[in-house]
Amino acid sequence: MNNQELVNLSEFELSDEELFARVDHNDMESEKITAPRYSYWHSVFRVFFKKRINIIVLSLLALLLIFTYVYPLIIGYNAETDPFVNVNDASTKHLNPSKAIERFGFHLKWILGSGASGESTFDSVWYGSSISVSLAFICALINLTIGVVVGAVWGFSKRVDMIMTEVYNIIGNVPYILFISVMVLIMSASFWTMVFALTITGWLGIAYFIRTQVIIIRDREYNLASRCLGTPILRIAMRNILPFMTSVIVTLAATEIPSYISYEVFLSYIGMGLKDRSLGKLIYAAENAMVTPGWEFEFWSPVAIASIITVVLYIVGQNLGDASDPRTHM
Amino acid sequence: MAKYLLRRLLHGVFSIIAVVAIVMILIYSLMDRETVFDADNTYVHTASNQREVYKYRKWEEYGYLDYVPYSDYLNTLVRNGELDAATRDSVAAIGRKPANDSAATKKYVKQFTDYYESRGYTVVRLNAKMQTTTRVVSGGQQQLFAYKNTPLIVRLWKYFTHLISVENIHNIDKEIDIGKRGIKITLFDPVYQTYNEDGTIAHRKLALAIIGNGTRHKYLLYTDGQFPYIHQNLISINLGKSYSVRQGIDVFITMKDHQGSYVMSTVTFPTGITEESAYDLHSATFSQGSRNSLAFYQARFTDDYTNMSTVKGNPSKVGYSFMIGIIAVIASYLIGVPLGVIMARKKDKLVDKIGTIYIVFIIAVPSLAYIFLFKAIGGKLGLPTTFIMDSKSKLMYILPIVSLALPSIAGLMKWIRRYMIDQMNSDYVKFARSGGLSEGEIFNKHILKNAIIPIVHGIPASVAAAIVGAIITERVYVVPGAGNLLTEAINKYDNGVIVGVTLFYATLSVLSIILGDILMSLVDPRISFSSKAR
Repeated sequence: MNNQELVNLSEFELSDEELFARVDHNDMESEKITAPRYSYWHSVFRVFFKKRINIIVLSLLALLLIFTYVYPLIIGYNAETDPFVNVNDASTKHLNPSKAIERFGFHLKWILGSGASGESTFDSVWYGSSISVSLAFICALINLTIGVVVGAVWGFSKRVDMIMTEVYNIIGNVPYILFISVMVLIMSASFWTMVFALTITGWLGIAYFIRTQVIIIRDREYNLASRCLGTPILRIAMRNILPFMTSVIVTLAATEIPSYISYEVFLSYIGMGLKDRSLGKLIYAAENAMVTPGWEFEFWSPVAIASIITVVLYIVGQNLGDASDPRTHM
Repeated sequence: MAKYLLRRLLHGVFSIIAVVAIVMILIYSLMDRETVFDADNTYVHTASNQREVYKYRKWEEYGYLDYVPYSDYLNTLVRNGELDAATRDSVAAIGRKPANDSAATKKYVKQFTDYYESRGYTVVRLNAKMQTTTRVVSGGQQQLFAYKNTPLIVRLWKYFTHLISVENIHNIDKEIDIGKRGIKITLFDPVYQTYNEDGTIAHRKLALAIIGNGTRHKYLLYTDGQFPYIHQNLISINLGKSYSVRQGIDVFITMKDHQGSYVMSTVTFPTGITEESAYDLHSATFSQGSRNSLAFYQARFTDDYTNMSTVKGNPSKVGYSFMIGIIAVIASYLIGVPLGVIMARKKDKLVDKIGTIYIVFIIAVPSLAYIFLFKAIGGKLGLPTTFIMDSKSKLMYILPIVSLALPSIAGLMKWIRRYMIDQMNSDYVKFARSGGLSEGEIFNKHILKNAIIPIVHGIPASVAAAIVGAIITERVYVVPGAGNLLTEAINKYDNGVIVGVTLFYATLSVLSIILGDILMSLVDPRISFSSKAR
């Protein structure tokens, strides 16, 4: 060893007693982990916000949600009367933005023109999206909750697996629109009927997906070890497997929420949708406007808003799903 | 393998039956029966008691219940010889109130009530609705009938036993005299015969035909110049009669029959008249007394097999859906698979990023929105945006095919990319690379072969989806395909069609999953369905 690397002990300015004190072996001390503290959710957000694009998309989402939920409140939108205030004035109908601004003067509500009964397209679109987005969130919440719980049980128990697989094969063959339309026919096309119709069988696909994931990780070594140590099944499910699936569930939610908006639009289009003026209903009502020169804004505005909302929700969800995968936290 | 497939098929049959049962419960038990009349004009124009009776008659047609009016019961008694026609006429008229019945009527009303109540029917007697003491309200005449709701099991049993019917020579009622019943096999199909003026055969053509007398169809087997050249009427599939979509016609026929304008050809009728006609003589079915009812039939036919379908020039509903769907499926596999491979090879490069944006667009944007977008873009490019059945232009197929293919291309790209990237770190790839194989060889010969296996599994399902049709696409482009059939039936409360179409869908989907498994085991020899453990 090189002499120059020897340390001069006097630079510590400690007495010899302190320098050469005996350190006993301490069990408690050796159990301490010196790695930096790891918090799962903290890491999720750290990874999520490290990407600049996520901040942009998230603020876009916030803006959309403000317009969806706060804007109708601020202007005091009344779904019963507001769409029909100008119904008797033919000169207010089917105006494109520039003509509408010319007719009413510049105001935020006329920047997308006016619709078939002279209503503001801008207002209708945001009110419609509040219905569609609420429907999507509620359906996704219900379906994911039921789907994850049932899927976890389904994956664990072999007996449940046998029965549920058969149920899945049968229900999966009944056309989805049949369930929905019969529900709508039985109970009238209200918001909660739609929620019921979309959730009565909607959880089954999610449960099947979760079941497959559970089966994949159920028999991994760490779970086997845990079971050998006598951990109850429920605890294995909640503590060993569920955290593993957080990213899967978040990713699933990212595809589910936009898909319910799409579904609502689709159902309204084939005439089985809500009675309320949701986005789908607006698109359905304005279908003819698409091919009429000068009326395009009525049709493309709800289509564009629906698309933007779904894309933003999807991207946020996907990236949150990526961030919630612990393997990306290194 | 055979044993396994048999078990799978049995499971499939079980789940098909269960699906039909669920659908029947949904539409017959859960749905309010009154909704059937929502769009019914006759219902609006009838009133009072007549409306009640109309409702029950309609419900019987729609398969909800069995409905027997009092007069039908009396007629049955007459037919069985328990009652003569004169007495029937005297007891048929029931009083405005039960108290007004004559003694003889009372006896038969009691007999009717007892007979049907003992069989679980509900007997309903509606008293006349009076405007004044002597005048009856319009439609308010007194009514007497019995009805019984059809239980699910009976309905299911009836449905599945009538699903496939095989022709036999006693299909036509025994009492109808049609000469000697039997089946005749001929090598010279009479449809192709032409006659001289004096009625002798001028020309005949060698063509196999089996002709029945007493069967519902006249021609049980025949040949013609159209694919698949040999046709049969011996076995027919009855998926359920339609009430409002196409009244009285079976769903199966609605789906498979040609549509559009008539195609005329020179037809020689059995009596020797030769003329330009769209009638298809091979489709003749029995219709009692029809020959004598019309001079037109009398001049052309020698028997009562006069009920014929017409030859139409355009493909059937399923035909259109299949044609558009299958081209879209083939195109999406031809385009989607190579694109997915390129994305996987150039992972994180520009190509991959553009592809990912496209996939996100297709997944996230509502399908309705991008189909309209394609329609708008196509319209700007000058492509026809609506489907006109009799148009000869092939251009109108482009937009529906593109609208169907683009989303499935995205799906294929997504999965191929995922599977290939998953395979890229496997040991066999590292081994191949260390063995000196070029990247191209590794990707195309090794990785693709393994990544394609789950994709192959989906091929039958996408073909089945092509047959079933695409609801939005066909609606947006007004394609006369099968995709709209279910929604149309639901909107029109056509229960028969709903059940029939569901059965059709379910059968296709069950078959396609089984076929997918077989195909997968053919592509990948490691997958084996035989029960023997390796």
